Amino acid sequence: MVDQQTEEGSLAVDFCGIRLNNPLVLLSGCVGFGEEYTRVEGFSNRDVGAICLKGTTLEPRLGNPLHRVYETPAGMLNAIGLQNPGVDHVVRKILPTLDFSETRFFANACGATVDEYVDVVRRFDDSPVDAIELNISCPNVKAGGAAFGNDPEMSARVVEACRAVTSKPLITKLSPNQTDIAENARRCIDAGTDAFAAINTLMGMAVDVAARKPVLGNGQGGLSGPAIKPVALLKVHQVYQVCQQRGIPIIGQGGVSSGADAVEFMLAGAALVGVGTALFYDPLVCLAIADHLEQYRLQISAEGAADWVGKLGAA
Amino acid sequence: MNAPQSHRATLLSESAELLSQQAFAGDQMVMRLAASRIAERALPGQFVHVDCGQPMMLRRPLSLMRVDQKQGWVELLYKKVGAGTRLLAERQPGETVSLLGPVGNSFQLHEELSRPLLLGGGVGMPPMLFMASNLRRLKGFKPQVLLASEVPFPFTPEPSSIMIDGMPSSVIATMPLLDDWGVPARLASNQGFPGCFDGFITDLARQWLASLVADERSKVEIFACGPTPMLRAVQELAAEFDLPSQLSVEEYMACAVGGCAGCVVPIRDGDGVAMKRVCVDGPVFAGEQIIF
Repeated sequence: MVDQQTEEGSLAVDFCGIRLNNPLVLLSGCVGFGEEYTRVEGFSNRDVGAICLKGTTLEPRLGNPLHRVYETPAGMLNAIGLQNPGVDHVVRKILPTLDFSETRFFANACGATVDEYVDVVRRFDDSPVDAIELNISCPNVKAGGAAFGNDPEMSARVVEACRAVTSKPLITKLSPNQTDIAENARRCIDAGTDAFAAINTLMGMAVDVAARKPVLGNGQGGLSGPAIKPVALLKVHQVYQVCQQRGIPIIGQGGVSSGADAVEFMLAGAALVGVGTALFYDPLVCLAIADHLEQYRLQISAEGAADWVGKLGAA
Repeated sequence: MNAPQSHRATLLSESAELLSQQAFAGDQMVMRLAASRIAERALPGQFVHVDCGQPMMLRRPLSLMRVDQKQGWVELLYKKVGAGTRLLAERQPGETVSLLGPVGNSFQLHEELSRPLLLGGGVGMPPMLFMASNLRRLKGFKPQVLLASEVPFPFTPEPSSIMIDGMPSSVIATMPLLDDWGVPARLASNQGFPGCFDGFITDLARQWLASLVADERSKVEIFACGPTPMLRAVQELAAEFDLPSQLSVEEYMACAVGGCAGCVVPIRDGDGVAMKRVCVDGPVFAGEQIIF
């Protein structure tokens, strides 16, 4: 790969007015607070366009009881429960340790109420993060625990309230666990979102037969990995139909584990491609994905990685 | 960049040639892999995150049992318990296995605690063997190893040539390799294996500790790895004799680099509780801090 520090690579892309090294984004919840994967020799934050930091709430959270992760066919379930040290700690203690010259860092804001989202976003607005992702899949405590993101009205309320307190790019992370993701996207655009991340995990369960209990301490968890890729592709494509005319970019995500997967998501309408679970199998997978994207770019004689976004013909 | 980056590039991704794979009773497997760079850096208590092969999505954390820096290999003991480890057991010599490691912190010896007591149960035996192999070269330490298994041991137990004060005379079986190293060791099981202590490893440890004079006993530090009920009993044993302990724990794991917070365990933190990651904060924790 091209040394991003001295020379902009051919895969560099614009996203909400920010220049990224390439279209790859490391996904929230998979990469801690941005420095964890640099433990692996050969891994560099420079090799990705952006890193989405772990979901952050107003107060510290211990997260869910054990077990929290479990492998399933072609994927895994997780129920971490937003373990995080709280937004003040993240802004004051963690962000100053990150090297913003290597890549872009996106915050991931969570809340149990609209007010909490607003407080967290306001705190991140006054910080060096490059963009703020709204994790609207959190349970709304004032609506009996139903996830904000599963309802267009509640999703839009979160976006609208957060829009009012930040000028940083807002990325709304859409849930696949709803009837009409496109309608939700439409409402969130009207409420002021700058971009989308699609999709969050699909809710699932695993059963421990011997114990006659769910395997996960939380009972249920989010399914990720290649198992959800076809679902994610469809959702990205559906959201793209809404975003296309409005110029709203999408971070396509859900089971991406190869360069070919990344190309598929981009053709379906993703401007950027998120990588998460695949890192657990191959920590250096982003190098291979970026190489593949570059090969694809040369193969189709494209000038940049934005050229084939949404270029999916009719069936 | 304002913070030290000492954590960077500490984990190696190594394509290791599978040198041998030996099957033992009770679905136990001992696997040796050529992984010279990991071998060079590995410390007792650390593990490797092993790619079991397609179609498994998640690697499996397996403790390092033996490490030969000169010949550049590492040896792992694992049990076929699920789809991943069953798949791993099918891998043949000559094949390549992807390893990530060495992961985690390690057991820490203290000079003044010169009588380390090493307790390994089941697939928790590996870090104790790794530690014993290092201890035999360290002057000033007088280690005592106890191993336990409820399936036949993944080696052929033999009567030990090393006498140990305070051990019941009928408890004579050891792991021959430890005898070769000159490390005193005994075996425990509830299965009535000949020469082994008939009962739990912690009961044998209790007898041995009780036999020591107070001055000697005050030099003991307990190191243990094994199933949770055993570790809980070790925690109680350490409290009973007011001894420090270091325990290696396990939990379902995804990334092994500290990224996902999937493998956490509750750890006492001042007056409160912290959920610590087994992969990078552990797997070794001070015994009294672990909340089982």
